[in-house]
Amino acid sequence: MIRNLNIILMVTSIIALATVYGLKFSIEHTANEKIALIAMIDTQESDLSLLRADWAALNQPGHIEPIVKRHQEALGLGPVKQKQFGSFTDLAMRPAAPDNQGLNALFESLDAGVDPIDAILQGLN
Amino acid sequence: MAAMTDELLPTIALDGTRKARVNLTQARIRWVILALLMGFCVVGARLIQLGMVVQDSTIEGQARDVITATRPPILDRNGLEMAVDIRVPSLYAEPRRIIDVDEAVQKLATVLPDIDQRWLRDRLSGDKGFVWIQRELSPSVEDKIMRLGIPGIDFITESKRFYPGMREASHILGSVNIDNQGIAGIEKHIDNEDVAMLQDIGLARGNDLAPVELSIDMRVQHVMYEEMQDAMVRYKAIAAASVMIDIYTGEVIGLTSLPDFDPNDPKSALVKDSFNRITAGIYELGSTFKTVTLAAALDSGKVKLTDQFDARFGVKFGRFTITDFHGKNRILSVPEIYKYSSNVGTIHVMQALGKENFRAFLTKIGFDTRVPFELPEMRNPTVAKTFSDVGAATASFGHGLSISPLHMAVAMAAFTNGGNYIAPTLYKRTREEAEKSYVRVIQPQTSEWVRYLMRLNALEGSGSQMNKEALGYRVGGKTGTAEKVVDGRYSSNKNFNVFASAFPLDNPRYAMVVVVDEPQIENPQSGDTAGWNAGMMTGRIVQRVAPMLGIAPDFSPALDTNLVPSFLR
Repeated sequence: MIRNLNIILMVTSIIALATVYGLKFSIEHTANEKIALIAMIDTQESDLSLLRADWAALNQPGHIEPIVKRHQEALGLGPVKQKQFGSFTDLAMRPAAPDNQGLNALFESLDAGVDPIDAILQGLN
Repeated sequence: MAAMTDELLPTIALDGTRKARVNLTQARIRWVILALLMGFCVVGARLIQLGMVVQDSTIEGQARDVITATRPPILDRNGLEMAVDIRVPSLYAEPRRIIDVDEAVQKLATVLPDIDQRWLRDRLSGDKGFVWIQRELSPSVEDKIMRLGIPGIDFITESKRFYPGMREASHILGSVNIDNQGIAGIEKHIDNEDVAMLQDIGLARGNDLAPVELSIDMRVQHVMYEEMQDAMVRYKAIAAASVMIDIYTGEVIGLTSLPDFDPNDPKSALVKDSFNRITAGIYELGSTFKTVTLAAALDSGKVKLTDQFDARFGVKFGRFTITDFHGKNRILSVPEIYKYSSNVGTIHVMQALGKENFRAFLTKIGFDTRVPFELPEMRNPTVAKTFSDVGAATASFGHGLSISPLHMAVAMAAFTNGGNYIAPTLYKRTREEAEKSYVRVIQPQTSEWVRYLMRLNALEGSGSQMNKEALGYRVGGKTGTAEKVVDGRYSSNKNFNVFASAFPLDNPRYAMVVVVDEPQIENPQSGDTAGWNAGMMTGRIVQRVAPMLGIAPDFSPALDTNLVPSFLR
């Protein structure tokens, strides 16, 4: 009786021992993983902060201006001039009704091979 | 035990060996108990000893997390970053854990060739818990040092401030020291305001600090900065500065001052003359002051726009006679006094107002004290407590009293926004919020008259050079050419030039003050008075920034005639 009990107790304690050791190692493993993850987050955060700083630096007007100057000639860039602004009041109003007579005359002359607009454009040149 | 001996008494001789064995067993048990107790004592003592160890978590006297604390990013009004934190590794050592100092020094010297080996050896010897070796290194250096595998050497990630705009907003932002504490500019103000407090109570760690939004528009700031740089070259000036504020909210849209410094390299701030001329420089602002004098006089009702003043002769004060620079030598109306910048006329206007009233008006628009503003770099203006007759006369055209350009910008804002004084700010503010702190300094009617005068000066007076640069944007303003005091006398060839303006005057939105110190003539055809330099700088700035600020050019003459008071048309 006592012998059996002892055997059971011994087996239980060996199993318990093994479990506790297993637990210990798994916890250590998890802790290491955690440290590795923290380190990774840390490096990624610092990478991110660098990228963000880069982005901010590239977006500065002071950074863009020299690029604009460099390509000014090739792209025909220049500061906006006052006369380049327009307003809605500058636009001609839409005629109240389509000018049927005028349109007919235009189409007829186009059919006949005469382009009045082209003549005006030629005159401009 | 007693019972046991009693029981065994009759068989003393027979049971002697057994008794001896029992005694022996009891003795052994006692020894074992003693041994166990001692064992427990040792374990307990060790536990107590471990409990007594104080972990030194400070870094050379500072808490570790103060060093690694971050600062909030600073954004401009459109959300563009003006200051961000980058995380960089810093190298430190724990000298008590270093086994071979010489080996460690030699290995480190291979990666950090600039380091002084003797200094490093001293630093690594001893049994300190923490010493810095080098702070704010690059990730690649960190990698190399990690590969050396020296025990007792490690890295800590610190936050380093980075200003992507480089020098452009240096005087606004200021800078931080190596421990990430603000030492100048808005950075210092942020620290005084809340970050320090938050850090004290243990908050403000990590990256979740709400960004600080400034009122600055980096696009405008860039244009102003570029024009100031241009002016330094074009006019060979020793300094140039400008400030633009929103007249209704008091928000500062742009503020530049040259010479400046690189906030990414705080040492450069120590260079002489790189102070903020807008807030920390006080100057005699010359004729721009006539706007103030006329506004005061017109607002009092003692002088009307239609009044005429005799500017034929200089004004005599004892030995001194004050005359005009380009004297018209005739009787001038009030708009003409402003247009021709007549000193004599302005003195008469001031005298009609009364020098006490004039002095009281200067107090009213805040020329007695520093401008209430966030930047710590401020200087007190020097305005005499009471004016003598001659003192009041010179003050009426801006001599004998010194104020900062920011004072003038704030006054310009008050004169054009309908007459309300609003303290400037570097933080975003809505018009509703600003209106709560409005203080009326002149009547709306006077404000309209001042707008008319300013526009008139741009069309016909000393601001015409400026107006040519910014046609269509309805800018108006007053020039000021102050002779600098050299060795106690006014010098005739060293000027301090100012242009105080507002635009678009038909519906004003922004006030601007541009100053340039000791400008030279650009070419033989130009002059060295303010209209030729500070004025043209203003024009060029407006021409570039007005479209960014949503102001379209308008050439209709009705806008200008509408500014003219009905009784003058």
